[in-house]
Amino acid sequence: MIQNPRKRRIRLAFTNLFFIFLCIAGLIPILYALSVSFNSSNSVFATGFSLIPSDFTLDHYKNVIFSQPFLLWLKNTMLLAFFTVIISLAVAVPAAYAFSRFRFRGRKTTIYLLLLLNAFPSILSMLALYRLLHSMGLINTYTGLIIVYTGGMTIFSLWNMKGYFDTISIDIEHAAQIDGANDFQIICRIVLPLAKPTIIVTAVLVLINVWNDYIFAINFLSAAGKYTLAAGLYTLQATEQTRNWPLFSAASLLASLPILIIFFIIQKQMKSGLTSGGVKE
Amino acid sequence: MKTRTKFTALLLAACTMGSALTGCQGSTGAASSSAQSANAAVSSANSQKPVSITVWHEAEDGIVKPLKTELDKLSPNITVTFQRKQNMSDALKLSGNDPSSAPDLYLMAHDKTGTFAQMGILAPVTDFISESELSDLIPMTVKAGTYQDKIYQLPVYFETQMLIYNKALMKKVPTTTDDWLSYMKANTDTKKGTYALVEQHSTAYYAAAWMHSFGATIIDGEGKPELNSQAMKDALTYHKRFVAYEPTDGEYNTDTTLFLSGKAQAIIQGPWLIPSIKSAGIDYGVAPLPTVNSTGKPLMPYSGVEGMYVLKNAESAKKDAVAAVLRQLLKPEAGIALAEAADEAPANSKCYDDAAVSENASLMDMKNTAQTAVPMQNVPQMDVMWTVTENALSAINKNNQEIAAQLEDAQKKAIEGIAAMQ
Amino acid sequence: MNKKSRPWFYSFPALAVISLIILFPILYTGYLSFTNMNIYHWFNPGIIGFENYRKALFVFDSGFLPALLRTILWTVLNMAIQVAVSFLISVLLNSEGLVLKNFYKTLLMFPWAMPAYVSILLWRLGIFNSQFGLLNHWLSLLKIEPVNWLNGNLSAFLCCMVVNLWMAFPFMILTMDGAIQSIDKSYYESAVLEGAGTFTKMTKITYPMIRPIIMPAVILTTFVTFKQFDTVYLMTQQVGSKTGADIHTVITYAYEKAFITSNYGYSAAISILIFIIIIALTVISKKYIREGGAQ
Repeated sequence: MIQNPRKRRIRLAFTNLFFIFLCIAGLIPILYALSVSFNSSNSVFATGFSLIPSDFTLDHYKNVIFSQPFLLWLKNTMLLAFFTVIISLAVAVPAAYAFSRFRFRGRKTTIYLLLLLNAFPSILSMLALYRLLHSMGLINTYTGLIIVYTGGMTIFSLWNMKGYFDTISIDIEHAAQIDGANDFQIICRIVLPLAKPTIIVTAVLVLINVWNDYIFAINFLSAAGKYTLAAGLYTLQATEQTRNWPLFSAASLLASLPILIIFFIIQKQMKSGLTSGGVKE
Repeated sequence: MKTRTKFTALLLAACTMGSALTGCQGSTGAASSSAQSANAAVSSANSQKPVSITVWHEAEDGIVKPLKTELDKLSPNITVTFQRKQNMSDALKLSGNDPSSAPDLYLMAHDKTGTFAQMGILAPVTDFISESELSDLIPMTVKAGTYQDKIYQLPVYFETQMLIYNKALMKKVPTTTDDWLSYMKANTDTKKGTYALVEQHSTAYYAAAWMHSFGATIIDGEGKPELNSQAMKDALTYHKRFVAYEPTDGEYNTDTTLFLSGKAQAIIQGPWLIPSIKSAGIDYGVAPLPTVNSTGKPLMPYSGVEGMYVLKNAESAKKDAVAAVLRQLLKPEAGIALAEAADEAPANSKCYDDAAVSENASLMDMKNTAQTAVPMQNVPQMDVMWTVTENALSAINKNNQEIAAQLEDAQKKAIEGIAAMQ
Repeated sequence: MNKKSRPWFYSFPALAVISLIILFPILYTGYLSFTNMNIYHWFNPGIIGFENYRKALFVFDSGFLPALLRTILWTVLNMAIQVAVSFLISVLLNSEGLVLKNFYKTLLMFPWAMPAYVSILLWRLGIFNSQFGLLNHWLSLLKIEPVNWLNGNLSAFLCCMVVNLWMAFPFMILTMDGAIQSIDKSYYESAVLEGAGTFTKMTKITYPMIRPIIMPAVILTTFVTFKQFDTVYLMTQQVGSKTGADIHTVITYAYEKAFITSNYGYSAAISILIFIIIIALTVISKKYIREGGAQ
């Protein structure tokens, strides 16, 4: 390379500086929550802005984990998130592949129509969905919630993945077809590895959607024992009058921890499976 | 051949998906089938089997605990489960009368009585117990939950606003609004963030106290909005002079933190704040709300009555059990326990014979205020009014909009909103 | 299976679940809009024809047009900033030799890992609160008068935008980062050999290469932004802590008008009318959407 190594080092140092600044600036609200959660007195307002509050305590974290059904909620959420992600991908990947690879009548209309459906302001969907699930006997079941979450995310997943599939060169698939591979084998062995970044982005999107939803969870699950983390968190805040802010902050931070761990783990998987020649010009 | 493998693979995928679904179902299936058998047991009206009653609530634990303790006395014949339901009002609209997901009873403030009675999901409490059994209750509390001559709410406790002050900061509490205003001028330093008085000046529930003492009202008894009356304009014009010396924000968290951290000398709030004040170690006093000089009337706050509602679906299946629960809540013990644990004012007048209640300053203050307090209107139209009124108040007090214009606009929106309800 | 029916067979599960969860509520709302389902006829709603639509036209009063324009402005500003800033950040994240890349990326994802209502609560009370918020705390250190951030129309609008962007960046960064990673490194190598600088690489290689990949996400996020309810509502319009700022978007405006009436028929008519407006806007911008994936 022609680049001057010294110049590169300086540039890298600046990039690092930029990201350190960006992370700190971006995390200010989170640091704020952290500060409140360590505070032993019940106030939403952190005293001044020091990361370590004057009366530091870990009691609220202990309280969340041991005195609240936090672990049960965590288990429920993980179960629900796992199945929703698997089913969402199982539903959306073949559809995205079909809309990307096949040329058939109604294709353009359908994909455009899906976008328009997505534009509906869903203020009233809750009532319709409630009645739908009720008629199917799925109120207060995870099956009902999985269907709702999957359905809610399918248009986004389909569009997102189709866009990516479109950019993958079809030549490799033609070659595989000539070798006698069927569509299923092509999806599993060629498309999925090549499209790993978009599969992961889509999966994460679905996962977070389930993880953070509380509206459907509190309306469609009536037993608190079935609650997800976000729903449990929502009830934990109680009324505004008596909300235990440090406890609430601690629970919020703990609830997002698994997501962060997952984020960190998947970073390495973000690279496309085939490093060269996969993406067409 | 090619097609067949493909098909098999897809079938396989479909099967795993299906089993995944049934896998989930399996874990939930057991629970729901046991619930079904419990229901079956109830409907067979076998007196040997316990009847389970589910109560939805949005109240804090300090209030639910004493009630639960009281109702546990009914076991083993009746087991009562309290279930916290966030956004209960929306949840009730969804589940309505559906016995598989709706509760049997719910605990709520009285201002939504009209809405749910009109929807037709409520059974009057007099279907379960006779009206004469309510005679010990403070009359205002019974009236609060009466809609179109039917009593839908069994009052348990009531709340009014009160003037709470920090004895260490405030030696003498002014008794008239004019005195308050000059006291506020002298004792407020917005730069340092110290205030004489804080209140939720732009929340309809709180601001109504000022309106009432001017003879204004948000809505009349028939559900007709009265936001653009001259009395209303006078009340808000006068009130705004006080708002200038209060934190603009005027929101619950800000106000209470200012008071609890000793930066506000006095606060107008409800009894729910008392436990926090005690735990903050503040030496507090409760004073009567000031009298408005120009009208000669004290600030007349809203009162809110919290009580039990019975859903229609519980009427046929669990009539006796519901009646037993309501009777248990009517006993003075329930109210006394609530007063001691949560500083709430019992609806049962007999409770006030108890020393623990009659010596509680904030409770007695609420009981006195209740004489002049205005129960929140319980007509369905009130749903529209809360939002419309707060929009106008916050535009006037927080965003410096013109009073008359805002009120005219709010009145118009209220009339439109109410017309749209039909 | 023949070639014609195969794509439909593959997309059947997706279309089925979409019909159930997305299409059915729309049709149901359409049906409700012709009934008088309200608290006076909860269990026995009747068909009343276009009555609800006649009433709903009141909603399109003097307050509606400003809300619509504001929503368009809100959407355009949010999307422009979101896309531009996320692009820069993603490019920088992929700088060669950035060892802590995954660490930075994980931290930047944090806002996404929280339910929106929690984030909004944090911003409203922790940052923007006029008495105790961090912003005013910092201003006081600089001896500047405190500002009522959420009370004025303009400042409230900007504050909501900051919060919305804060919550939206992670997804956009993740999407763009994924897209950038899929670019063949050899393009850059040959560009460098030809003497291309960072800026040229960004505009001539990275941008055109990731554009088709990110377009669907951008388009769909645009819809989400247009329909955004939580941010504006929870920051300024929540009953009990309204701030007095009038920064209604179409959705919050309709929500206030419709939902407080508990009239489902009427609310349904308003939903359908807004749906039609969004569709109209979509059709107008069809050109961009077609480029973005509906081809």
